[in-house]
Amino acid sequence: MTDNIKHTIETPKQKQNRHKAMEAVKVLNMIKEEFKEPPKAMNYFYDLFERVYCKQEPLHADKVKVGTMCIQIPSEIIYALDGVPLRLCNGFYTDDEIGSDLMPSKSCPLVKATVGHLASGNFSDKPDIIFSPTTCDQKTKAGAIVENFGYEVMDVDFPRTKESEESREYWRRSVRKFSHDLSHSLGKKLTKKNLQASIQKIGYAQTLYHKLNDLRKNRFVPILGKDMLMVTNAFFFDRIDNWITAVEELLEEIEQRAKNQLHAGGKISPRIVYTGSPPIFPNYKIPLIIEQSDAIIVADETCSSNRMFNDRVSVDEWFLNDMVDSIADKYLKGCTCPIFTKNNDRIRRIIDLVKSYHADGVIYQAFAGCQVYEMEQRSVLAAMEKEGIAILYIESDYSPSQQGQLTTRVEAFIESLKNRRRMKR
Amino acid sequence: MMKNKIRRMINNMPLNKVRFWIQLSMFVLFAYGGYVLIDFGSSIPIFACPYNSETGATCYFMPLQHQLAMPANVLFGAAAISVLVGLLTFVAWFVVLNKAWCGYACPFGTLQDWITALRKKLGIRYGTYSQAQFEKLSKIKYIFLAIVIVIPLLMGVGVLGREWSGAFCQICPARVISPMFSGDFSQWKIDFSTVTSMILTTIGVLFAAVFFVGSFIKKRFFCFFCPMSALHYTMSDLSLLKLRKDGDKCTKCGDCYKVCDMQIKDIADDVISTNILRDDCMFCMKCVAACPEDDALHVDILNMRVFSSSKEGFAKRMGMDRLEKNDDR
Repeated sequence: MTDNIKHTIETPKQKQNRHKAMEAVKVLNMIKEEFKEPPKAMNYFYDLFERVYCKQEPLHADKVKVGTMCIQIPSEIIYALDGVPLRLCNGFYTDDEIGSDLMPSKSCPLVKATVGHLASGNFSDKPDIIFSPTTCDQKTKAGAIVENFGYEVMDVDFPRTKESEESREYWRRSVRKFSHDLSHSLGKKLTKKNLQASIQKIGYAQTLYHKLNDLRKNRFVPILGKDMLMVTNAFFFDRIDNWITAVEELLEEIEQRAKNQLHAGGKISPRIVYTGSPPIFPNYKIPLIIEQSDAIIVADETCSSNRMFNDRVSVDEWFLNDMVDSIADKYLKGCTCPIFTKNNDRIRRIIDLVKSYHADGVIYQAFAGCQVYEMEQRSVLAAMEKEGIAILYIESDYSPSQQGQLTTRVEAFIESLKNRRRMKR
Repeated sequence: MMKNKIRRMINNMPLNKVRFWIQLSMFVLFAYGGYVLIDFGSSIPIFACPYNSETGATCYFMPLQHQLAMPANVLFGAAAISVLVGLLTFVAWFVVLNKAWCGYACPFGTLQDWITALRKKLGIRYGTYSQAQFEKLSKIKYIFLAIVIVIPLLMGVGVLGREWSGAFCQICPARVISPMFSGDFSQWKIDFSTVTSMILTTIGVLFAAVFFVGSFIKKRFFCFFCPMSALHYTMSDLSLLKLRKDGDKCTKCGDCYKVCDMQIKDIADDVISTNILRDDCMFCMKCVAACPEDDALHVDILNMRVFSSSKEGFAKRMGMDRLEKNDDR
């Protein structure tokens, strides 16, 4: 009898894939089903995440894949050289656990997950070369750890102050060197033509994003934050032309919704600006709690979303060197990452978002172990208090265990914002 | 509704093209106005050089130097009224356009932009100053302004002789170059009549030669040193036309600084000042056109916004509002 049963033992990779698929499916189902009427054009993104994270489908089998450890590696240059930028920042608890063995216990879950993922080597699209900008301490050191797994990792020097002329020049030099190195390893020359085309293509992608975002300023918000997060998150790994087409369709639908004054939230749903450590799929824990508690995320200030799209490249004379310098400036000067020495720009940015998106409050989430966001918390809270803007600070990580406690805190905050709204009426 | 439409149209305009045509017409007006008897008088706040016989107006520095060189008793006596009228006319002209005189009307400025266009056509990249060089060089214009004002005054009190007459004009490259607009190359010479004239005209000719090389390499090379620009700055607060910034909306991305021909860093980094016009500024408005944030930079007439930065306008001007598709699917 027992001879008929075939025992197959699951390999660690299969197990990892299964666990990740379970994480992904859970979040995808929540996103798709627990909210009223998601836009139809969002189906492209829901499918995309399912294909990539549940079925492990490769998207770029025919291209050279350039892994990037942080937002500052210019995708304009990678596309111009016919590579595909893949942002390696990772949101899976499964990978976080693998990474826990390789990093100190109190490190940032995002970095741990990224390291864990790279340690497993289990990719549907495996990066052929990795560029690691020296941004925060943990990412900087992670680059060296990752190198030990057998990846080709190249550091890109990034300054930690951004006001000075010296740092600007320093970063420009780094980006020039980066484009040189990449061009060398991809065996393709950066030309005036291919770089201009790629700057304009990414510029167009940003234009689409900005148009979508502008509609979130409306009194009737036509799209929820969780969907916007998926759109921007897909930019990490999707084929850019597909992404553009999908967002064009989404924009059309959302514009129609805005015309029909369709509201994605409830009558007095508070409007939230989300800031802090980046929510990366499937770690949408806090954003989902917020929107399930009857609030709407109308804007965000995170590097996985707004910060990635907000600042633009402007070029005066479309010469190669001028374009490269312009690109460099965009990734340094406009960046509001807390790794910089002082960061009034980030505070000003949050205040501006609150005002222009008519937000009722700010939710500031930091990963436990994401030291720079934790450190900046006080100054941001103080600044918001001065401006009379309600703010909630929460720490979280990738573990599924703290759900209950987080929900209570977020719900209480949102309830208080609702009361304010009621009083105003 | 209609108002919004017009506003949007202006904010979306292709500034470089519009500016090119305005500059061209102004150039024709000021360099060749004389042919059709146009004369805007002698208090114009630009380098419309009277050494060019066909000029449509006269640079204010010419009469100013002559007036200041008068003996003190005349200057403060009989001539005082005409000096005052000249100054007031100058201010009246200036108040209308502020420094946009430099960016849109000055034939000497326009000439530099055309040299820049030529360089661009040849595919050669522009040069820039380092921040330290910039800070030093940008002070030179005040030295020139001092020459415009102090030397004639010294002549008036008798310290300097007649050969110092119009000293700044003698070293000014516009004196050498502007007559060329109407085919007169005679200013390319050194005046050997006195030692002073010899030195001054030699500087003038050298300066004119450097002008061509300089403005080929550096955008608006001469404007850094222009005493007219310095004089403008002293009265720019009076002007009706304002360049303003809303620091709250600025993300310091540096796009404006990137396109600034004059390398003015404050335009990007200063988020406190609302009046963002700096002494080197020539009010070309390229910064407003290159700003990707809605209303962060704007040009006002008194308190009415006439041209604002906008996301839409930015995308249009940078060719980022549409995409020619070459599939990678």
